[in-house]
Amino acid sequence: MALVELINVSRTYHDHVDVPALKQVTLSLEKGAFAAVTGPSGSGKSTLLNVLGGIDRPDEGKIQVAGVDLTDTPANQLADFRLRRIGFVFQAFNLLPVLSVEENLEFVAALQAMPKLSRQQRARELLEAVGMAELRGKRPNDLSGGQQQRVAVLRAIMTEPAIVLADEPTANLDSANASLLLDMMERMNQEKGITFLFSTHDPQVMERARRLIRLKDGAVVADEIVRVSGLAST
Amino acid sequence: MAVPGIAAQSADAPAIIHRAEQELRAKTEQGTVSMTVRTPEWQRTLEMQYWAVNPDKTFIRVTAPAKEAGTATLRLESNMWNYLPSVERVIKIPPSLMLQSWMGSDFTNDDLVRESSLEKDYDHKLAGEATQGGDRCYRIISTPKPNAPVVWGHLVLFVGKDDFLPRREEYYDDKGTFQKVLIFEDIRRVDDRLYPMRWKMESVTKPGHETLLVYGKLTFDRSIPSSVFTQENLQQPF
Amino acid sequence: MLFISLAWRNVWRNRRRSLLTVMAIGLGLAFNVFLRGITDGWHDEMVDNSVRAEVGHVQIHRAQYHDEPSVSKTLPDAGRVERVIRELPGVVGCSFRVIGSGLASTADNSSGVEVMGIDPAQEQSVTTIQHAIVKGAYLSQNGQRPILLGESLATRLKSSLGDKVVLMVQAADGSMGAQLFRLTGIFRSGAPELDGGVAYILRSDAQTLFSLGDRVTEAVLLLSSSRQVPQVVEALHHNLTGDDIEILPWWEVEPFIKQFIQIDDAFFYVIALIFFVVISIGILNTLTMSIFERTREFGVMMALGTRPVQIVRLVVNEAIALGLVGAVVGDTLGSAATLFFAKHGINLGAVKAGVAATGITSSVVYTQLTAANLIYSTIAVFIVVLAVALYPAVRASHLKPVEAIRYV
Repeated sequence: MALVELINVSRTYHDHVDVPALKQVTLSLEKGAFAAVTGPSGSGKSTLLNVLGGIDRPDEGKIQVAGVDLTDTPANQLADFRLRRIGFVFQAFNLLPVLSVEENLEFVAALQAMPKLSRQQRARELLEAVGMAELRGKRPNDLSGGQQQRVAVLRAIMTEPAIVLADEPTANLDSANASLLLDMMERMNQEKGITFLFSTHDPQVMERARRLIRLKDGAVVADEIVRVSGLAST
Repeated sequence: MAVPGIAAQSADAPAIIHRAEQELRAKTEQGTVSMTVRTPEWQRTLEMQYWAVNPDKTFIRVTAPAKEAGTATLRLESNMWNYLPSVERVIKIPPSLMLQSWMGSDFTNDDLVRESSLEKDYDHKLAGEATQGGDRCYRIISTPKPNAPVVWGHLVLFVGKDDFLPRREEYYDDKGTFQKVLIFEDIRRVDDRLYPMRWKMESVTKPGHETLLVYGKLTFDRSIPSSVFTQENLQQPF
Repeated sequence: MLFISLAWRNVWRNRRRSLLTVMAIGLGLAFNVFLRGITDGWHDEMVDNSVRAEVGHVQIHRAQYHDEPSVSKTLPDAGRVERVIRELPGVVGCSFRVIGSGLASTADNSSGVEVMGIDPAQEQSVTTIQHAIVKGAYLSQNGQRPILLGESLATRLKSSLGDKVVLMVQAADGSMGAQLFRLTGIFRSGAPELDGGVAYILRSDAQTLFSLGDRVTEAVLLLSSSRQVPQVVEALHHNLTGDDIEILPWWEVEPFIKQFIQIDDAFFYVIALIFFVVISIGILNTLTMSIFERTREFGVMMALGTRPVQIVRLVVNEAIALGLVGAVVGDTLGSAATLFFAKHGINLGAVKAGVAATGITSSVVYTQLTAANLIYSTIAVFIVVLAVALYPAVRASHLKPVEAIRYV
């Protein structure tokens, strides 16, 4: 069974006019995928991630993520689902500014009632693995944009989610930092088999993705495997 | 016993009262009386001599027991004076104390003053008949005239049909609470008049409190020298 | 623990705003504590004045004496009552009195009076009548029959020092009692009922006048503090069994003062309420703004899996943090101010006339700090803080992550 399945999912926003953000999208994603969703603004990329991540609900259609049917799940259970199964990386402002880097990592684990010692240990392990151990006591405001995003990724995988959803994660980064970020995520994908789905219009990201899904006006217009595997050579 | 001519008169309340006053109060009275005051806590008996020129003058002197012998009260219209031999003082009773009990009895200073103001200060209405002390009586309800200087809300009087002597006077305050009752008993012929020789004032609001007046010698309508009703007389050694 | 740190640090993100809120809470609380301190001090002073003028803290009589006073209703077994009283802790003074009524006469006038037969030394240990003497002297056992009259009564009777005053009474056995007294002192207490209607004589003279033998009418007690009244009354009930006795705390003898205090307290609560409303508005404003500013952050938190109820708890914790700091500030300031004036007193000279109407004759009021005062005020602050925090907290928890995240 695919890790993620969307069947005929539609979502329309009702503003002054009705904006159909997703129109009858049918899609599935395998475990271990390193995929990107792309398209012009307003094409529905973010909406797709939102419904997959359980922070928005489709008007029609069926969604299954990691074996959980999201279609009729009530709000409280959705929060729990997000907590345990989804890792989010947003474009910016991922981290809670009053908590240190280490504490930000601990936050999601604390929500799951992981004991202090274990979660502290895991946070430190993750930071060490990517060579960011010395940043652990610092506040997000003391970090560069690139460092913040990398910490956000660490936080996203802190509780071993089924899938990491990254919404334009490189949009505020220069190409060097974007590259570093993508390196980290690719490594996790390769070494730990964590599934990644990006929404982006950054060509750097699209280059690294192994599967590219193009959306236009809420519908899938292209969906292709572009690479087989392997880290990009710089 | 019936007095000729009375039966023929209409039963008119003011007339009945007028007649009752005439029967009860001679022009003058003098005599001796024994007053026994009973409360739940104590009881005492005073022997007294008294003189009265109705309706305005009263003089009473205590003759026994020894501790209080010589204490005297003089009333002229609505003024009252007491004499206390132990301190050799004449004290005028201020208006504020008119409702205090006289000599510790159930009669107030005011009662002594108002003895004979029934006709002047009240309106009377006949309200049927009743039997009191074995005798048929007129039952009369008396209400104070407006501005009458009277403390009661109303009175209920029982006047014997045959002899026009009162048998019972009930006193009610402004709120209609039954306060005390004066009962006239032992009606006998004395000095050519019919007279109740026992008067008993019973308190209704204070159970166990009552004052009993028992007359001894009594004479009526003799002339009494005016020197009796003076402050000097109060201080006469006894 | 992490969430507590989160709440605490969130509060101090906007240091100035939070400090202002904390100061608002603190000052409001301090004012309440201090105002309560003044009110308590004032009330205690009122009670003390009344108690020391005549009533005492506790009165003991024969049962039903208070409802239907009568000179023949004497205190049963006064010796036993005295022994019990002497053994009670907290009793500073005790006076056994004879009380009756009668007529006071002079050559010029007569007036109804309440006659109080006292032992001068005992009475001094309970009341302050000896300090109210304006002419002549306080009662003493000097061989003659002295009488002390209030100023307006003496004037009404047209009697001056040295004059003879006759007291005519109905004695306990029903007989008429009368005695000659000599006016040895005139007092002015400020209380019209005393100055115009009470005559003090020696207790032994009163017992003779009223044919009482060695019986007395009442025992009056002065305690070291009016706060001890309930327990002393209870101890008396415990030790003086039998239903021929009544034990009355001062407020049953003179309910007027207690009623005045209750009305005054009602006013205080209204003022306190107004303060708390003002404080709530401050807190509400601060919390609402801080939530507004963190909309995106809340969105992220909820996207990460924070449940609505956890958001509520977070905001409430932030409010509690504000309340705590405010309470510390307020309690400290309020206590300090109250303790200062408890020692040095507040001079009410300017409003002395109004104060005198409540029975206080001195112009200095000493504030009082009680644990109850602090505790109730602080609890009230927390209740307000919690109540006020609920609305913004619930609002925050209802944010939709999708919209919140995008909020700019």
